[in-house]
Amino acid sequence: MTSLAQIPAGGEPAESPEALLVAAVLRRDRKATAEFVSCCSDWIYPVVRRGLMPRTDMVEDVMQEILLSAWRNLASFRREAGLRSWILGIARHKIEDYYRKRIRQAEVQEDDATAGDLAPSLQFDTPLDGTVDEDRVQRTLARLPEAYGLALTWRYRDGKSLRDMAELTGKTEKAIERLLARARESFKKRWNDEQS
Amino acid sequence: MSNPEEERELDRLLAGTPEEMGARAPSSLKARLYSALVKEQQSSGPLASLDETVASGFGICVFEKLVQIAPLGESAKSRFFCRVCHARVLGEAFDNAPIYWPHCPYVAFKG
Repeated sequence: MTSLAQIPAGGEPAESPEALLVAAVLRRDRKATAEFVSCCSDWIYPVVRRGLMPRTDMVEDVMQEILLSAWRNLASFRREAGLRSWILGIARHKIEDYYRKRIRQAEVQEDDATAGDLAPSLQFDTPLDGTVDEDRVQRTLARLPEAYGLALTWRYRDGKSLRDMAELTGKTEKAIERLLARARESFKKRWNDEQS
Repeated sequence: MSNPEEERELDRLLAGTPEEMGARAPSSLKARLYSALVKEQQSSGPLASLDETVASGFGICVFEKLVQIAPLGESAKSRFFCRVCHARVLGEAFDNAPIYWPHCPYVAFKG
């Protein structure tokens, strides 16, 4: 964005580099658009990647959705908010959309599942020594049906309540509880399988 | 319903997902996102012409310069020339692609 700071302001009041960038992108200036993509990508990439882990193959699709949505709504951008906060807000919203859609789709999978197939309660074999094997957690999550991994992540990493999850997915709290119960069983089985 | 011990264990295991804050987007990803965004911009109107881009203080690459000085109409100068450039293809396919033109966005993405 530094190059924009060099644009002479003429007789008009000085604009911030960020405001100039937004105005140039709205004029469909290809070079300004490149700067916009570059800085916005760096801001949202870690957030999207973390939000979708371990499904990193979806990062590009979600980032593209975020940037296209930002372009379509750029005219309504209010500079007081700051471009970074604004685009990060869109990113969080899109990530939540992703969770919502995938967990909503899980209804079919749940209904298809054989009734009463919950595994007997398993214990985690790993001692509570205070350290977490991140790679193993991600490997285990990656081996779960996607909706299970997302439900666990939403609940235990992001601290979403059952009520919030139910409201956001249009499901009942009971249905979310059932989904989480299956997800926990599935996680534990795979976690312990790897150990044995 | 889960038992509290199980809840605590899941909290502990999943809360630790690394933040990765500060990680920069790979250049090939930026390149593909840029191409997609410009395509979207073109669907609702022409790009700003190269003359406008230069007047705004931006640099243009050697190929764009050739188009800019050519006796062509404004509409011809509003096309997305990167679409037919090898730098785009390489930039989209590889991080740290072997492209070095000054003022090329696909080169700039390499940071």
